[in-house]
Amino acid sequence: MIDQRIYEMFREIGEDLYTAQMISSHGGNLSIRLGDRVIIKRRGAQLGRLKPHDLIETRLDKNDSGVALASTELLVHRAIYMNTPALAVCHCHPRIAVAFSLSRDELVPVDNEGSYLLKKIPVVTEEFASGTPQMANKVAEALKNYKVIMLRGHGSFATGQTLDEAFLWSSCLEESCQIELATKIINEPFIEYRGMSDSYKKF
Amino acid sequence: MPTVKLFASLRKFAGTKELSIIGATVGGVLLELTRQNPLLGTAILDGGNLRPHVVITLNGRNVIDLNDSVNEQDVIAIFPPIAGGQGE
Amino acid sequence: MSGWSEKVLEIDLGTQTYKTYPLNMEMARLFIGGRGLGARLLWELVGPEVDPLSPENVLIFTNGPLTGTGYQTSNRFSVTTKSPLTGTVLDANSGGFWGMQFKKTGYDVMIVRGKSEKPVWIEIKNGAIAFHDASELWGMRVFALTEKLGQDNNRRNVLCIGPAGENLSRMAAIMNDRERALARGGPGAVMGSKNLKAIVVEGRERPVIEDTDRFKFMLYETRKLLAASPLTSQALPEFGTAVLMNIMNNVGALATRNHQQTQFEGAESISGEELAEKYLVKNSACWACPIGCTRISKTEKVEGEGPEFESAWAFGAQCGIDDLPAIIEANTLCNDLGLDTISVGSTIACAMELSEKGYLDSDLRFGRADMLAPAIEATAHRRDIGADLADGSLRLAAKYHHPELSMSAKGMEMPAYDPRGLQGQGLLYATSNRGGCHMRGNMIGLEVLGLPKLVDRFQVQGKSAFVILSQNSNAAIDSLVICKFTNMGVGDEYFARVLSAVTGVQYATTEMIKVGERVWNLERLYNNREGFTAKDDTLPPRLLNEAPVDGPSQGWVSNLAPMLKEYYRTRGWDENGVPTRKKLVELGLADLA
Repeated sequence: MIDQRIYEMFREIGEDLYTAQMISSHGGNLSIRLGDRVIIKRRGAQLGRLKPHDLIETRLDKNDSGVALASTELLVHRAIYMNTPALAVCHCHPRIAVAFSLSRDELVPVDNEGSYLLKKIPVVTEEFASGTPQMANKVAEALKNYKVIMLRGHGSFATGQTLDEAFLWSSCLEESCQIELATKIINEPFIEYRGMSDSYKKF
Repeated sequence: MPTVKLFASLRKFAGTKELSIIGATVGGVLLELTRQNPLLGTAILDGGNLRPHVVITLNGRNVIDLNDSVNEQDVIAIFPPIAGGQGE
Repeated sequence: MSGWSEKVLEIDLGTQTYKTYPLNMEMARLFIGGRGLGARLLWELVGPEVDPLSPENVLIFTNGPLTGTGYQTSNRFSVTTKSPLTGTVLDANSGGFWGMQFKKTGYDVMIVRGKSEKPVWIEIKNGAIAFHDASELWGMRVFALTEKLGQDNNRRNVLCIGPAGENLSRMAAIMNDRERALARGGPGAVMGSKNLKAIVVEGRERPVIEDTDRFKFMLYETRKLLAASPLTSQALPEFGTAVLMNIMNNVGALATRNHQQTQFEGAESISGEELAEKYLVKNSACWACPIGCTRISKTEKVEGEGPEFESAWAFGAQCGIDDLPAIIEANTLCNDLGLDTISVGSTIACAMELSEKGYLDSDLRFGRADMLAPAIEATAHRRDIGADLADGSLRLAAKYHHPELSMSAKGMEMPAYDPRGLQGQGLLYATSNRGGCHMRGNMIGLEVLGLPKLVDRFQVQGKSAFVILSQNSNAAIDSLVICKFTNMGVGDEYFARVLSAVTGVQYATTEMIKVGERVWNLERLYNNREGFTAKDDTLPPRLLNEAPVDGPSQGWVSNLAPMLKEYYRTRGWDENGVPTRKKLVELGLADLA
């Protein structure tokens, strides 16, 4: 049985993701690495209302949970843990970020917090929505150098030492995108307030 | 009454190291503490919430839930944010 | 290539000659510099048959591609050798100004081999390398010697040993810029065994930076981040590292009286707050550092740098002493004699316990602040009780038939954080490649400060993953060579980008941390080759079996066994703690095993 505190952590962040409109009812996923094991949401469960039995624990390098958790989700998370120092992964579908990913190869926040914390978010493309080894490796590869990335038209993958951290990057990303969307609607000339601002896209 | 101990830069805001503050929960004690010491309030609170990375311990255990109840002999220690900025 | 000077200086003290040759750049790309490069070279040069105090041991001084570039805290450098205290691979790391100047001499690496027949000091000045007779200087203390050899922070920098190193104390430090130290593990004794008194550097070369625009951007962002972090912009400059004293005491993780308790009733009297209020003159900084964590403290008797948290703890809580002026004086005395404050303090504490229990016949007792200075002097000169103290607490305690009273891991005295109050920290000490050390990784952020987020300090499952990440990251930072306090405000991804911008070699964040993992595994291989096994990944029995009877950590012992099992698996090692072939191939170390 999963430790109560870990379940609480997943439940809280899952709930926050749903209320922040960063996932649909059954979309997105959260996982953490505990030593050489992984804890991840079961396929088909709702992140916004997680129950203790919705969390699966399995070995890092193969699925020994006894649950036929479709390897789609696990594959990507596993690839991330094998290829980066991540200890937590937050995957969600932040709407405005996804919209921007359709027309840009990288997202460069213009707001203060986004510039400060994220600087730049690369966009990678892989058509097959359900996890294939190609998609898993592409996502993991991009996460070697950035803590949050976009999969074009699909959603974001963020890593951290804790779920809290991974959620932070995801949330900051969507906030930045919403602010930028607002600037498009406001449609007035941008007054640059940041020093060395043209360097962000080179991060 | 529960005891509140202040450390590092918080001492100069309150003008003292230690106070007795009435309250039934950690949150309640903080409210009363910051009501008596508005300067201290701005140092540890942001609006009604605890500033990030302020370390609060209750009898030496880190406080996660401000609703934790507090007894007469308890000691609450408050350290200013000495841990990093956002995230890193 | 940029960043690196691409040159190695090799000095033979026996013949008083030297040679220079190109740095193997493939090796440099894999190990970067500092600790990493030092470990790789030590692997080649010093095997299990070499006694650390024999002429066959070497001292490998290394800087890194970032050293001297002007990036925040790019002043640090390393020395790598086989430790006379632990017998493990040892790298010690120091700040100040010497590292920056060493880079300006145009070398990435300086290897010192052999032994000089008579005391000697080396001068590297504007390309010329000279050997000078040090017979007149032998016996001099660090402060006087540093001044005599012409110390000028920005122009001419002195690195030297004091009487402790000359007398081969296994706790002897190598000092630089008067009061900075390559302290732990006894590198000063290695230098003393070579009859080498000092190395003075003056140089003119500047490191080349490949992408100056990107570098400037990183400089700018780092400045903003350090200014925004309360730790680096307020707590450290104002209170210094001793700001931790009250916190660690409060949570019941401040080792007291040779780890007999986890809280010290006198903690307030030796805290950063007390120091700032009563004895602080001002704060000070190393080269290119905006943080300024260094204390300049003054008592009636002395004025000098420090004390750091660990030093104040070692002579304070660990010895049951709450007399801060005495502690400040003890710290300054160690600097002047060239001794590691942590090991010396904890060794004296061990002697105090041995004496109180009647195993050792001496006047040392917990709380006796007046005994600190005499004990330290005696240690440096191997006089009286000093003869017993000079080689560290493990040899001391073993001599008097109670090795379990040495609070050490692999023979190196552990620092302040008591593992019974912090489970992850205990795993850190037990697995550290140079022995009981708090700089190989850092669990305080996660387990106490909530940086980035609080994890339960008593929880055991899953801790190993945090410890491993911290160890890998710190090993990478030690190879750059950058100060870990910068890392408190700025994430690893910034360092990877600075490294890429300076050298022109693109390191993704993960690749940079992988260098750290590579270094860690190489150090492990080195220790395995020396004969260390899983049995040595342990802590003193007191921490494994005796729980504190009061305080917030009451009832807790260090639950090392399950954490260690998980640690080995997560590191990709077998159940004996040996890196598997698969892991070595992954890290490019397969040809070394």
